[in-house]
Amino acid sequence: MILRLVAFLALLLLPGLAAAQDRVVNVYNWSDYIDPYAVQRFTRETGIRVRYDVYDSLETLEGKLSAGRSGYDIIVPTSEPSFARLLRAGALAPLDRARLANWRNLDPTLMARVAEIDPGNRHGAIYLWGTVGLGLRLDRIKAIAPDMPLDGFDVLFKPENAARLARCGIMVMDSSTDVLPSVLRWAGRDPNAHALEDLRVAEQALMGIRRHVRAILPSGAILDALANGEACVALTYSGDVIQAQARAQEAGRGVQIGYVAPRQGAQLWFDMLAIPADAPNKEAAHEFINFLLRPDVMAGITNHVRYPNAVPASLAAVDVAVREDRNVYPDEAMLAESFVASTPPREIERARSRVWSRFKAGR
Amino acid sequence: MKPGGFVRAMMLAGFLFLWLPILLLMGFAFSADRIPFQWGGFSLRWFGVLAANERLLEAAWLSLCIAAASATLAVLAGGGIAVALARFGPFRGRAIFGALAGAPLVLPEVVIGLSLLLLFVALEGLIGWPAGRGALTILLAHAGFGAAYVAVVVQARLAEAENSLEEAAMDLGATPLVAFRTITLPLIAPALVAGWLLAFTLSLDDVVIASFVSGPAGTTLPIALFSMLRLGLTPEVNALGALVVLVLGSMLALALWLLGRRQG
Repeated sequence: MILRLVAFLALLLLPGLAAAQDRVVNVYNWSDYIDPYAVQRFTRETGIRVRYDVYDSLETLEGKLSAGRSGYDIIVPTSEPSFARLLRAGALAPLDRARLANWRNLDPTLMARVAEIDPGNRHGAIYLWGTVGLGLRLDRIKAIAPDMPLDGFDVLFKPENAARLARCGIMVMDSSTDVLPSVLRWAGRDPNAHALEDLRVAEQALMGIRRHVRAILPSGAILDALANGEACVALTYSGDVIQAQARAQEAGRGVQIGYVAPRQGAQLWFDMLAIPADAPNKEAAHEFINFLLRPDVMAGITNHVRYPNAVPASLAAVDVAVREDRNVYPDEAMLAESFVASTPPREIERARSRVWSRFKAGR
Repeated sequence: MKPGGFVRAMMLAGFLFLWLPILLLMGFAFSADRIPFQWGGFSLRWFGVLAANERLLEAAWLSLCIAAASATLAVLAGGGIAVALARFGPFRGRAIFGALAGAPLVLPEVVIGLSLLLLFVALEGLIGWPAGRGALTILLAHAGFGAAYVAVVVQARLAEAENSLEEAAMDLGATPLVAFRTITLPLIAPALVAGWLLAFTLSLDDVVIASFVSGPAGTTLPIALFSMLRLGLTPEVNALGALVVLVLGSMLALALWLLGRRQG
């Protein structure tokens, strides 16, 4: 024990010596947001050691990067707002396509959506993506309101529907960037509306169902609530609902979870593979991205995390439950209807957070 | 006076309040169910899953190492501060020194974390050390605020003990160093142990400062747990919690037993 402690201290004080011998790539990502086997395989094939660190929030990631010299080589920010903000701040390095032979595996339609944020896709490849929609506890809803059509946001945003389902638990994830655009779209407005008048419409819609909403929680807590059956209707990320579905099935208590993407067009979000501008091991970082974009590796990641990826060639090896659920892997018609959130001007951003705090407080 | 029924009931309620959540967590660590707080029959399944989760175990080991090392540094630094403040008389700048030493107690953790982050980044630019952030910078940061707590604890102990004993020793021919080693140190030893345990605990559950000053290969257990919350909790966390309670609990029991044996 003491010997190990001394060895540990020595390693701390001599970081250069230990690292100089082998090549390293420093990955900074969410916990459990990768297939552990893929990491082992990358090291075995390339000899590059992966140091995998995790962040507790995207704000932590942004804070570290804006201070500079973070030491990370791969980061996985969400397209909006983190990736867009880091891009504007010049914190991301342009990718060298010559070193990314597997770039061609990426779905051009999806990459075109990201190009709205990152012109020419110069700074990021899609890692995993998804939509924002409703996680539903099908067995309970069938018992309470068998006639309710479960095909979109009407289930949640029509006050009479929300009132019927209130007693079995309605939850909304605590993220204005991921909820307000969907509300605007449901109300028939531009999801990226920049007018205060539009925001008022969204606020009215939210306040109209506020007293039926049991909780506004971080998405991880909503995942737990769905899996253990506490939530009947939950506005959250598609991948989280699919994870909750698998956990509920495994628990075997008859909790049936389904995901519904809104008929009116869902908000798309993308978690991007990017390299910080001052990354110390850019070459290894490119090798890592190139490795992840291999169809067999991507399929392993999707099977583990249960989020869709942007490598169509991987589909053949993806679990049927994920691949064939049209709500999780939207078809082309649904994709055409979907939209990508953009960063609003600062004064609209403030107005949005005011709307959100009023919704959370229930006025 | 014999404690009455009311006092006993209050004590029981107090202990339940403190220990029931921990006991529940330890109990659910043995549940087979995939949902963290539902009982699904007795099983050691999640300890097996945890044993295979190298990342979480590495984070736990890193946290324990950082906590032990930073607490040791904190005792050295904090003990020095306390002796200087309590025994060196009214030296020039004493008030400022005392206020500065106590600053980490009142500053919000976010401010400490951010300022340390900027300091480390600037230092790296100026002198190239510390090269990058990681476990070392977390250790230094924790030692820094741990020292403030140790200083308070040890100072209180020193204020209780008059320095007449040390003066007597020196009157009888002891050098200041000998007097310190044979008189002062044994006097403040319990406070040093208490300070070490305090700094150890503070380091072990700090997430705010650590998330500012961490870098590659610097994911501590609390950071790993908060990151896991993004995708919901798994019962592995219960298993890990049970293990941590057992390990720290037995360490504490051992320490108490050793202390008791020396006195007895």
